[in-house]
Amino acid sequence: MSATGQQVQSHYQAPAEHSAERLEEKAGDDLLQFVICLIGSEEFAVDVLSVQEINRIVEVTRVPKTPPYVEGVINLRGRIIPVLDLRKLFGLSGAQQTTQTRIVVVSVQARLVGLIVDSVEEVLRVPRSAIEPPPSVGTMAGAEFTQGVGRIDDRLLILVDLSRLLLAREAA
Amino acid sequence: MSDEMQEILNDFLTESNEMLEVLDQRFVTLESDPNNTDLLNEIFRAMHSMKGSAGFLGFNHLVDVAHRGENILNKLRQAEMAVSPSIISVILETIDVIKAIMADIRDSGTDNHVATAAIASKLDAILNGTAPVASPAAAHVEATSVAPKAEASAAAQKTPATPPPTLGEILVNEGLASKDQVLDALNAQQHQPDPKTPLGEILLQAKAITERALDQALHKQEKQPKPVEEDATIRVETKRLDSVMNLVGELVLGRNRLIKIGTQLEQHHESDPQVRVLSETLAQLNLVTTDLQLAVMKTRMLPIKKVFAKLPRMVRDLSQKLNKQVHLEMRGEETELDKSVADEIGDPLVHLVRNAIDHGIETPAERQAKGKQAEGQLTIAASQEGNSIVIRINDDGRGIQVEKIKAKALAKGLISEAELSTMEHREILNLIFLPGFSTAEQVTDVSGRGVGMDVVRTNIRKINGSVELESEVGKGSQIIIKLPLTIAIIQALMVEVERSIFAIPLSTVIEAVRISRSDIKTINGREVLHLRDRVLPLIRLAQEFDIPTDTERERFYVVVAALGDRRVGVVVDELRSQEEVVIKSIWDYLETVKGVSGATITGEGKVVLILDTSELVQNAQAWHNSGVAV
Repeated sequence: MSATGQQVQSHYQAPAEHSAERLEEKAGDDLLQFVICLIGSEEFAVDVLSVQEINRIVEVTRVPKTPPYVEGVINLRGRIIPVLDLRKLFGLSGAQQTTQTRIVVVSVQARLVGLIVDSVEEVLRVPRSAIEPPPSVGTMAGAEFTQGVGRIDDRLLILVDLSRLLLAREAA
Repeated sequence: MSDEMQEILNDFLTESNEMLEVLDQRFVTLESDPNNTDLLNEIFRAMHSMKGSAGFLGFNHLVDVAHRGENILNKLRQAEMAVSPSIISVILETIDVIKAIMADIRDSGTDNHVATAAIASKLDAILNGTAPVASPAAAHVEATSVAPKAEASAAAQKTPATPPPTLGEILVNEGLASKDQVLDALNAQQHQPDPKTPLGEILLQAKAITERALDQALHKQEKQPKPVEEDATIRVETKRLDSVMNLVGELVLGRNRLIKIGTQLEQHHESDPQVRVLSETLAQLNLVTTDLQLAVMKTRMLPIKKVFAKLPRMVRDLSQKLNKQVHLEMRGEETELDKSVADEIGDPLVHLVRNAIDHGIETPAERQAKGKQAEGQLTIAASQEGNSIVIRINDDGRGIQVEKIKAKALAKGLISEAELSTMEHREILNLIFLPGFSTAEQVTDVSGRGVGMDVVRTNIRKINGSVELESEVGKGSQIIIKLPLTIAIIQALMVEVERSIFAIPLSTVIEAVRISRSDIKTINGREVLHLRDRVLPLIRLAQEFDIPTDTERERFYVVVAALGDRRVGVVVDELRSQEEVVIKSIWDYLETVKGVSGATITGEGKVVLILDTSELVQNAQAWHNSGVAV
């Protein structure tokens, strides 16, 4: 992660509770970069600065007595990290793993977590002005883990609030 | 504060702390051997050099206290004053104040927060002879350490008590030259200008000895342990060693993986010369990795002396306070164990020793009434047994009454009458390690401040160790602590359940037996196995971990795991292999999963969970007990 990257991050990442408002306040014309993942038919956006790497799906070791959305643990070059299935976490019906299935390894509060997504599409630049707070009536998938919505042309990107993923664990 | 200054300060603190630890021990020894001038000199020098460093760094309060202490030591050293328990007590108190100042320096960078006036006036009083020097030495402790013979040589190497013999001494002792001849030669040598001719050569020239005799003597001298040179060691941050250990762990895993691939290749392409070369290279790599692993493990090993160091002082203070007489004996202090293990074992050990003195050893009057020596014996012995370090704490006190334990366990609702009736003597004794058992009714200043024996056991288990109690009423108690040599790498038995693999720490495995379904019986709805006259509660790993089972199998393996006296059979589908695994933690995100203590990565790069045998055994017991109660 470059020094400039760090800077942007510190501008942008705020405590989970306030991040939506902060996004709104700071809406300028600077660009944010997101990794766009597909889960079901919806496009989820993960802040590129949090993403450490994107891997093909590997064998996941199940860990007993954990919530269903915890897929298990994997070996990431000698480190053992937990892997969450975003489909299950967002309450979408399960899908088979395909050749497109990926594990997006993100760093949340200095801890590495793998996220299973159906596929990874691209890295997209989104102007801050295109980002809106999440709709108040949350009917869409993963509403509780959303920190905002990005509109680019007719696409609707759901911005994933990574820090809430960890909160989900605590609530479970 | 600049980095450089901070570094100097850190060095000062580390050195001083080590010195203080040694001083504690020295004082206690001094008390039983008050005329030991060497010891006094050593203590004096330590205090003096600490004062010097403190003065250089500008810690004036520390200098002041150390200076007063030093004055008294100087008088003792020059025999202007006699060593007495009351003087030692005040000096020990001084050491405590110095320790407090050190802590203050570490935390705040200054030495202004500790009150020193009281101790200073006490020291002055002794110096001026106004304090009552003669003391009613009610309690008396002496610490002796008896190193087993095998370790004595190692000890000698580290702290040579006597300088190694000179060539002349050897020649005389071996009868190769007469004393006069050697003295003559030494005289001749003294009168020579530099560079002097070696002694051997002078003797040769004088035809006092033959060349062969000289060779023999020189050879003998070489074999003598040499004094350890000052810079033969370096200080390394523990963090650095930890990261080296981690990397070696990775290397071990990589090696395991390579060997697996190599073996497969060999099976398929037996005749290929390149494969054969690969196998040889792998064998070599295997050896080197094993050696490296061992070498790195050794860098982290400390003699258990470091942990034992604080005990003599503690025993002394405690027995004085409780008006008991205790003779502490420590054995096997050179036994080495991993730093991480050493760090964890200190507190449990202190607690157990406290208990032994407080509850175990009786007052002198009580002891004499029972026909025992007035002085209680407390022995702490460490030794290495296979892959474990065993620490035994023995006291010859009153022992523990099983009936009392029974009553207490029942009263606290920790166990049912029915369960008690099936338990053996030793099992009942070990109930004291149950959570909630040893929260003493009367909190004494010494032990029983709510930190129970269960905490001791939990801490020991945390490092994959075990603790057990044996006791005989009237004769005393023994506590046996077993610790692993290292906590990073363990031997494990890999088992398979419904295509999932789990690792069971081999240290907890007694045996594995093959059974068929019909061998499994049920008692009160709980599955058990009759194994050689013993009823073994069974745990089905598949059920325990909610692993869906496809078909009911006909044949199983039962891994008999033990925790102290308690045993449990873990039912698995297959036994895979025995492997050396590197323990990794997985729980910084996931909450602690019951029954799993960590994870490891296999030769194939897969993650395998390591079972927490102690947890499983406990669960099974609770489970089966509840079954009995129904």
